[in-house]
Amino acid sequence: MKFSALFLLLVSLNTSALAAETESAKLWLEQLSKSLRELNFTTSFVVVKNNQAEPYHWLHGIGENSQELEIFSRLNGPRRDILRQGDIVSYIEPEQEPYSIISQSVQSPIPTIFRGDFSELEDNYRFISVGRSRVLGRVAQLVRIVAKDKYRFSYWLWLDQQTGLLLKMAILTRQGLLLEQIQFTHIEVSEQLSESLVQFQSTELPEIIKLNNQKKNRVLAWKVDWLPQGFAVIKSNQHNLNSHNQGENKAVEFMLFSDGLVEISVYVNLSQENFRAPEYASDGATMVFNHIVQGIEVGIVGDIPLTTAKKIAESIVPATKDNAINNVQRSVREQQDD
Amino acid sequence: MSEIKSESISSLVDNYSPSTDDSVSAHLIDNMLKDEHLSSTWQNYHLIGDVLRDEVPQSLQFDLSKTIADAIAQETTILSPKSSIQTSAQAVANSTDLSSDEAFVQNTETKHSSNAVIDATNRFKARVSSFVKPMGQVAIAASAAALMIVGVQHNVAENPSSITPSQVVQTMPLAGYANPVSFSLQSAQNEPSKLQNQKALNEQLVAERVAQQRRLHALLKDHNQQVKLGSNIK
Repeated sequence: MKFSALFLLLVSLNTSALAAETESAKLWLEQLSKSLRELNFTTSFVVVKNNQAEPYHWLHGIGENSQELEIFSRLNGPRRDILRQGDIVSYIEPEQEPYSIISQSVQSPIPTIFRGDFSELEDNYRFISVGRSRVLGRVAQLVRIVAKDKYRFSYWLWLDQQTGLLLKMAILTRQGLLLEQIQFTHIEVSEQLSESLVQFQSTELPEIIKLNNQKKNRVLAWKVDWLPQGFAVIKSNQHNLNSHNQGENKAVEFMLFSDGLVEISVYVNLSQENFRAPEYASDGATMVFNHIVQGIEVGIVGDIPLTTAKKIAESIVPATKDNAINNVQRSVREQQDD
Repeated sequence: MSEIKSESISSLVDNYSPSTDDSVSAHLIDNMLKDEHLSSTWQNYHLIGDVLRDEVPQSLQFDLSKTIADAIAQETTILSPKSSIQTSAQAVANSTDLSSDEAFVQNTETKHSSNAVIDATNRFKARVSSFVKPMGQVAIAASAAALMIVGVQHNVAENPSSITPSQVVQTMPLAGYANPVSFSLQSAQNEPSKLQNQKALNEQLVAERVAQQRRLHALLKDHNQQVKLGSNIK
C-alpha cells in the first residue's frame, strides 16, 4: 500500500513536471511565431542535408500599412528566391518564369506553421522544453516537437532567449538519427526596416497566376485507406506529371495531405507495367517512394519515414470498384485529346 | 649586559646608528645575533616602539618567532634522492676539508657511519619513490583523462545538440542515384563469358536506373510545386 501510494505520488509529480515543460515549450513556440511575424530581422542560415550545405539569406520586416515583407534567397547555384509582400508570394526559379500566387504559406526551408498557430499540432505532437544551450553565441532554449506516433519525424528547435527567433533546427527520426538541419549563421534584429526591404517594398512582383489548369472537381478514382492520424486532405486533383522524359507527360491523380507541419503527396496512375519493386530516395528528411502493384503506380512524397510512405502506398484502393479504372482511362484519353 | 650596548641597540631600533662608522653597527648586529639576551632586547625595544606609536595589532602574539622556529624544528626532513646524494657528497667533502682537525674528523666520521645505514635505506626508498612517482603521475594523468572522457560523454548524452552539428546522416541510400555504375560492374565481373549479353544487360540496368531517378525526381519536383500552390485549393 505504502509503496503504491509513493509510486502514485512520484507519477503525479512527474506528470506535473511534464505539464510544466509542455507549458513553457508552448510559450516559447508562441513567442517564435510572434517574432517571425512581427520583428524586423536579417538572417543567414545554412540547410544541411545529404552531406551538402545550402546557404540562404532570410530577411523579414514590417513595411508600410503593417504589411509583412519577406525575402528568402538561396545563395549557391542558380537563383532561387522567394519574395513575399503580405499575401502575395513570388517564386523565382531557374526552371520556369517567375510567378506569384496569393497564398498564406511560403514553401521555404522554414515550415510555414512556425509563423502560425502551434496549437494546431497539439493532437499529433508533444512540445517539450528541454533546456538551455549556446547557439550562435547566444543563449538558446531547446524546444522539441516530438511526434506522438512512429509515423512522423521529430523537430528540435533552438530559440533565441532574447527574441524568440529560430537559431537552429533539426529534423530527427524517432531513433534520434539526424536527417536534416538548419543552422543560422547570422541574426540581426533591428527597429528599422532593413535597406534591402525598403527597396523591395517598392518593387513590383511578377504577375499573379490563376490556377485554372487543374481539374479539381472530378471525383477521384482512388482513395487512400490509411494515413497516420491527423493528416487531412488539403487538395486533390488530376494533373500531368512532367517526368522530364522528352516532354512525356503522365496524367496522375493527386492528393495532398497535411498534419499542419508535414505535407504528404500521393500520386496514383495506371501503368502499362504490371509490377515494379518499390524504389525510394531521400532528400534530407523528404522521402520519395514509388512502386507498381497490379498495374497501379503509386508515388508518395513527404517528410515522413519510409515505413509510413510504404504503408500509405499499400493502402491505395479504388474509390468505387467499378468505375475506378474507367475513370482513369477516360482521363488519360482526355489528356491525349488535349 | 652593558648599558652602552642596550643604548646602542635602542638607537639602532630608532633607525639611528650609534656611530658614524658602519662597521660598528654591523659588529653590534653580529653580537646581537649570537647573544640571545641582546636579541630579546632588540625584540622588546621594537615592541615598546610599536606600543608608543600605537601600531600594535589587536591580538598580540609575542612568541611568533619561537613558534615558527619550533614548527620548523618539528617538521620531518624530506629526503629526496637528489638531496640524499648531495648530503653524502657534502659529508665526504667536509671530512676531507676538516681532516686537519682531529676532533672534527672523529665527530663527522661517527656521524657518517651512523648515517650510512640510514642513507642506504633512504636511497633505496628514494629510488623506489623516484620509480613509482612518474608512474603515479601517469596514473593520475590517465585517470584525469578518463574522467574527462566520461565527462564529455556525459555531456554529449545530456546535451545531444553538441553532436548534431558535425553529424550529417543520410538515412537511406539514394536508390535512384546511389550505385548504378558499381552495380553493373559487379555483374560484369561475375560472368565474363557472356560479355556481349552482359553489356546489353548493363546498359539496360543503367537505363533503368536513369529512368528510376527521373521518376523519383519528377515526383519530388511536383510535390514541391504542389505544396507551393497548396493553400489555393483549400
